[in-house]
Amino acid sequence: MDYLIFSLSLMLIYIGLAQLLHVQFGLAGIPNFGVVGFWGIGLYGTGVLYVQFGVPLLLAIVVASVLCAALAYLLAHLILQRSGQAILAATLAFAAIVATLVITEKDLTGGVQGLGTIAFPLGDLDARNIVYLGILIVLVGALMWASARLRDSRLGRVLVAIRDNEELAASLGKDTAASKRTIFAITCGLMGVLGGLTAPLHQFLVPYLLAPSLTFAVWIALVLGGKGHNLGAVIGVFVTFGLFDILVETYAPVPAEQAILLPNFKLFCYGVLLVGIIMFRPTGLLGEDAPRVRRRSGSGRVRDIAETGAE
Amino acid sequence: MMQLTATNLTKSYHQHEVVNIEKVAFGAVGLEGLIGPNGAGKSTLMGLLTRRIAPSSGDIWLSTDAGDTPLNPLLAHQVARFGLIKTNQRIQGFDSLTIRDSLRLALTPPKTEGLGSLLSNERDTDEVEEKVSAYVEAFPFTDPNGHARSGGEKKLVDILRCLIAEPKLLLMDEPTAGLPDDITRRVMDMVREKVVAGTMRVVVVEHDLPLIWEYCDYVHFLSEGSILFEGKPDEVKSNRVVAEKYMGV
Repeated sequence: MDYLIFSLSLMLIYIGLAQLLHVQFGLAGIPNFGVVGFWGIGLYGTGVLYVQFGVPLLLAIVVASVLCAALAYLLAHLILQRSGQAILAATLAFAAIVATLVITEKDLTGGVQGLGTIAFPLGDLDARNIVYLGILIVLVGALMWASARLRDSRLGRVLVAIRDNEELAASLGKDTAASKRTIFAITCGLMGVLGGLTAPLHQFLVPYLLAPSLTFAVWIALVLGGKGHNLGAVIGVFVTFGLFDILVETYAPVPAEQAILLPNFKLFCYGVLLVGIIMFRPTGLLGEDAPRVRRRSGSGRVRDIAETGAE
Repeated sequence: MMQLTATNLTKSYHQHEVVNIEKVAFGAVGLEGLIGPNGAGKSTLMGLLTRRIAPSSGDIWLSTDAGDTPLNPLLAHQVARFGLIKTNQRIQGFDSLTIRDSLRLALTPPKTEGLGSLLSNERDTDEVEEKVSAYVEAFPFTDPNGHARSGGEKKLVDILRCLIAEPKLLLMDEPTAGLPDDITRRVMDMVREKVVAGTMRVVVVEHDLPLIWEYCDYVHFLSEGSILFEGKPDEVKSNRVVAEKYMGV
């Protein structure tokens, strides 16, 4: 039971990360391949502040996340006006730097020996695991609500315009670089919050947690679910993490000698799913999502200029 | 009003001079035309005036009531916020935005598009909606509430997007290319209306000479990279140099 609650809590963290990636990539078109780096700053930042400096957990999460947002803002200045491939490589490298620093800065992070322990909060409650899960559900729900608000807002429309044709958006007076920087810093900061919230789940932090596999898992989930749909992140994480990591690994009656093959089988299934989606439904399971705004009907005369109009 | 002035402007590619203009000013009168034979340097000049191409030498100044600003150090969005906007010769658009959303985007002031916009329940004010409807309903779109369907509709949306943004000076790069004749006329009538009302000034780069003669108050003739002649349409039409170099008389 405890393990199920732990897995579900972790699943919510994944949903939150995929949701933030939906904002970054699905709305604004920023290919962030350093998800684990920003999440990791939150995770290890919280851990270091809590264990080495005795900062209360909540304050540690806030400080680590603000630091994460500030670093993301600096990084945004350096890379966001470059091509998609450059952003992809730079964010991937950023995450690698974070992981390397965690290993080399032994005095702070404990290096490969690990950092611990981060006590689980709500210590005097019997059902503290479930309460913590509830808190995560509320927070991730709020995140999804906020991202729907963003999609329907004027800023969301600017972000979509930037994704479609940044040069054109700028020629209409939109400060595209500033909009991207702001959104990138905030969403990366929120990835840091999710990292901080993960710290008490693991309690003992090891550099292995910062492997790029987390980034890829989140990306696969988002692409499967639908990068342009507000609920794509949820569906995607259910289909990947929920189905394999929770259902199959924990509950499927697999004989012990075959259980060792499960992680590889999981990767195989991810691969097949991904290829299938990209071939047959490139917008993901849920497809694209349009802003929800009130519609006012226009009563213009309708005539076709389609034939004569082509250049 | 706003003027765009270039002095001693040159642009060379591999020692070959494409543009060499001693002095030219746009925005002094209502509707100006820029004409010239193929290869005269019209597109290069347009590129220079919108900062898409960097000049080899010379200066371009943006003059407003507030003073003169050199154009080249400005960023794209700053140029637009000064009030200088350009329609595109080649089709440009936002694929995910509907026709109406595209126009709403152009009309919405950037300062209301910050994080604060997440808090407001109405995305667009009634005023914005009314204006957008007026523009959309003035033209026969196949699906006025949906996306632009054909190349022609996309081109039209591109021009409308610039008009609704209410620039002080509008550069129109070959507005007729890709548009049916009657739509072009309707667009140009709309443009002239705004110019007469004094809300903006316009420079049109065009091959369609009848359109230039009909709508423009002043015409610049560009040939071999320099302004060879400029004046009222009648003067340009009857000028011997223009006739020789361009109209093949």
